[in-house]
Amino acid sequence: MISGIDATVYDAQSLPSNDNVNAYAFSIDLDGEWFTSKGAMIAYYGAIELSGLSAYASHAAWVAARFSSPLYAQEWVVASGRGKLVIGDRGNDINSYDLDNGNLTIKQTNLLAFETALELKQSIIPGFVTLIGTGKFLASSNGPVIFVEPPFRADPDALLGWADCPSPSIHYDYHWMSQSLSAGVHAMFGRESGEERQYDFTGAGTVLLQSSEVTRHDPALARIVEQHTHLLTAAAAGVLGHKLIARSQE
Amino acid sequence: MAVLIADKRVLHADLDGDSVRAANGSMVAYTGKVEFKYASGGGGFRAAMKRGVAGESISLMTCTGAGRVYLAQDAMDVTVVQLSNDRMTVESEHILAITDGLQLDVQFSGLRGMTTGKGVATTTVTGTGQCAIMSDGPLIALAVTPGQPLVVDPDVYVAGTGQTQMSIISGVSWRSVIGEDTGEHFSLRFEGQGTIYIQPAER
Repeated sequence: MISGIDATVYDAQSLPSNDNVNAYAFSIDLDGEWFTSKGAMIAYYGAIELSGLSAYASHAAWVAARFSSPLYAQEWVVASGRGKLVIGDRGNDINSYDLDNGNLTIKQTNLLAFETALELKQSIIPGFVTLIGTGKFLASSNGPVIFVEPPFRADPDALLGWADCPSPSIHYDYHWMSQSLSAGVHAMFGRESGEERQYDFTGAGTVLLQSSEVTRHDPALARIVEQHTHLLTAAAAGVLGHKLIARSQE
Repeated sequence: MAVLIADKRVLHADLDGDSVRAANGSMVAYTGKVEFKYASGGGGFRAAMKRGVAGESISLMTCTGAGRVYLAQDAMDVTVVQLSNDRMTVESEHILAITDGLQLDVQFSGLRGMTTGKGVATTTVTGTGQCAIMSDGPLIALAVTPGQPLVVDPDVYVAGTGQTQMSIISGVSWRSVIGEDTGEHFSLRFEGQGTIYIQPAER
C-alpha cells in the first residue's frame, strides 16, 4: 500500500485537452502536427514522433511556408501523430493564447509551441519572433503575465511581447540623455545602468510583460547580430571587431 | 516512532528517541537534542559499486535523538509518502528523508543509451515507513496501463509506483540529420501497470 500523494492521476483520456494540467504544465491534444521548441516535451501518451525541422520539411513542403526563420530552424522540432503531449519549461508559468487573424510578437525563448496554422517570422527586434494568422500558441513566463495598453514604456528585460501595435522604438531617459549631450559623450559603454533604456510603445494594441526574467540562452541571437553587421563598411566592421575583442578580454 | 510531516517546502521530522535518514546538508533548523552523522546511502558495498557504475550518487545523513528537525532543499515542494510493505522507485536526488523500516537500493536498468548517466538508475525504496520526496513544482501523476505506455523526459522523472517496466528510447529519429536533433536525446518509456510522477521543471 502506498498513500500520501494527493496528486490527481491522469491518463491519456483524462489529461486536459489543449488546457493547462497545472500552472506549469500544458497538455496538447495532438492530432496532426504542432511546432514545439526543442526540449519542451516533458511527457506524452500515444504515437507521437518528434522530428527535426529540416528533416520533416523534406517530405512536407508546407513547413517552409509556415516557419519562415532559418536562424531558428535548429531550435524547433515538429511533433506529429496522435496522442496527448505534455509541455513544460523549467517550472515557469505556461499560458495558451488564441490568435484570430492577428499578429503577435514574442521573445523567442518564451515561445514553447504553436499550431501549424500559424506562420512564424523573425521580428526586426533581435531575439523576437512574430506569429501571424489564426491558431493557438503556448508561451512561458516567469510569474504571471501582465497585459498593458500603450502608450507605455517597458523595461527590455520584463518585455514578453506585444500584439497588434507597431514595433517599439527605444526611449532614453531624459536626464541620462541631457547629461550625455552636455558632456559631449558619444560612447555609451560604461555609462549604462540598465534602466535608462526603455522600449516605447505607441498606437493601439496590447503589451505583454512578465514580473521577472530568468534569461534562457538564445543560441540564434549571436547569428542575428552578426547578420546586422553587414550594414557596416569594412573599416567600421574592423573598429567594432577591436571593441568586441577588448570587451571579451575584460 | 519518528514521524515525517510535509509543510509545503519544508519537512518536519519529529524524533522520539529514534532516527531518520535525510539528504546530506538538508537540515535547516532543529529543536531538542539531535545528533547528525554522515553515512552512505545503504545497500552496502554492492550498491556502492552499482552507484559508481551508473554515475548516480545518493548520500544520506542519520539524524538521531529526540526533537524536531526541519529539512529542506532548493525550495523544492515536499511530499510525504506512506509505504506499507510495498515498494516504489524514486530518482535518487529527490529523496529528502526516510524513516527506519525502509530499505534503499539502487535499481540498475542496463547500459544501453547511457550517454549522460542520468535518470537511468533510480533508488528503490521498499518496506514499511515514510519517505519524503522533493519536486521542483507540484507533482503530476500519470497512469501507465497495459496497452497505454507513457514516455517521459528523463529530466522530469521523479518517482514511480506499481509494476512498470522502463525502457530507454532514442529521441533522434532516423530522419534526423547531423547537427539537428529533437533536444530529447533519449526518453524513458514505461509499460505495465502503475503510476509515474513527474515535475514540471527539467533538472
